[in-house]
Amino acid sequence: MRVLIVDPDPARAALVIEGLGGVQPLQVRHLTVLDEQEAVAFGPDVVVVAADSPDRDTLESLRESSHANPRPVVMFVDRSEPGLAEEAVRAGVAAYVVGGLAPARVRPVLEVAMSRFALMNQLRLDLEKAKADLASRKSVERAKALLMRERGLDEEAAYRLLRKLSMDKGRPLGAVAADLLAFADILKGEADG
Amino acid sequence: MADHLLFGFLPLFDAAPLIVAKDKGFFSARDLKVDLRREASWATVRDKLAVGALDGAHLLAPLALAARLGDASEPNRLIAPVTLNEGGAAITLSRRLEVDGLTLPQHVAGRREAGLGPLTFAVVYPHALHNYLLRDWLAAAGVDPVNDVRITVAPPARMGELLECGAIDGFCAGEPWNLAAQASGVAKVAARASQLQPGALDKVFAFADSPLQRQSDRLAAVVAALEDAAAWARHPANRAELVCLLSTPEALGPVATTASAALDEIRFAVAQAPPQAVARQTEQMLRWGAAAGPEQTVEAASQVFAPLT
Repeated sequence: MRVLIVDPDPARAALVIEGLGGVQPLQVRHLTVLDEQEAVAFGPDVVVVAADSPDRDTLESLRESSHANPRPVVMFVDRSEPGLAEEAVRAGVAAYVVGGLAPARVRPVLEVAMSRFALMNQLRLDLEKAKADLASRKSVERAKALLMRERGLDEEAAYRLLRKLSMDKGRPLGAVAADLLAFADILKGEADG
Repeated sequence: MADHLLFGFLPLFDAAPLIVAKDKGFFSARDLKVDLRREASWATVRDKLAVGALDGAHLLAPLALAARLGDASEPNRLIAPVTLNEGGAAITLSRRLEVDGLTLPQHVAGRREAGLGPLTFAVVYPHALHNYLLRDWLAAAGVDPVNDVRITVAPPARMGELLECGAIDGFCAGEPWNLAAQASGVAKVAARASQLQPGALDKVFAFADSPLQRQSDRLAAVVAALEDAAAWARHPANRAELVCLLSTPEALGPVATTASAALDEIRFAVAQAPPQAVARQTEQMLRWGAAAGPEQTVEAASQVFAPLT
């Protein structure tokens, strides 16, 4: 089976390709931007396309040309397997079947794509969270140092004060620390000016 | 259905009523909590509407009809009770076609004799005013849009680039992408929807078949907020601020500033689709790319474009 992946995100496409390795005899090609001639020359049985690829409309228009005739998988899978099409849309994956491939053979491909898209999403979220955690920890350290310097507190007392502020305001510790630093900068700016 | 509504749009000037309604508080003034999401393709908008992943969206009028008829997806009961705009679609041709002062039929004949491939034009989607306009315009110029040229589909934002690299010789898309291509020097606007087919249906606001569709008060509130936003966007005194709102990275980005003059070509109009415009579009769809037979198409059009009751 030949699978063409159209995805502007190469890292995500690499994940999908890796996942497809376990499925069945496959030939996989990835295009970041759809090239009609290249796509037709490859002759895919299935086209997997990211919902955030602007090339989807072009791909869909190929239905009208005679040599390549992709039918949206959404159309026929829905009838036999309710829910799969909806799940795919929500996961940000669309698939087109070019020839008369049986739905049962498309399903594993679509499932791999969906799970890999979800995995990529999770990785991105984790990365953002890790960045935010790191930034928050840095703010807390700097705010502690500020309190120690300006209020003559020891580290433990400075931390307790921040914790109290955080609880009183019902805001995360990192956010309170960032506020404190921002205000300190403004006050310092005024003093300088 | 959560309290929050999620509406989708594509980066085009005719999405302005949505963007303005959100950013200038016309939705919130009517107690509507709305989030907007920019989408990358019309097919994705259609699919998301079909499964309720979007509650409503900026949509090509003929695509709303095709989706109802089950073209390329399960039939879905979306409704499009109001238009968003008039004008803004245009046909833009490569400057290369001007070189010898030849007419289009002469170009077609010349390329055929020289054994070159046909002229290639791009539209934004098969079920779109842009496809119908281009085909009618070519036919009127003496070029057979089916046999004499190749018509392909490309995203509006990529038209200028495709024209510049020679992949296409012309395109029909919404603003600001025509003026943006013209400003870069590679192309010239040849004709506008406002001259070719005044009052033609272009974009509509479509509601998904979600629980929202059965809450007539909320539907009416969304439409009223869009009407307020369109009135605001039409007002000349708000032009500079409108350009700012459209230029944000979440909306269209910098092209909204560089091609802001294209706003002069569009009239924002949130209103029921005029029956004669619906009839004309249905006729064009049947001529240039039917999704179903005539009776079924006319019947579906009367359901999709019916006003809110």
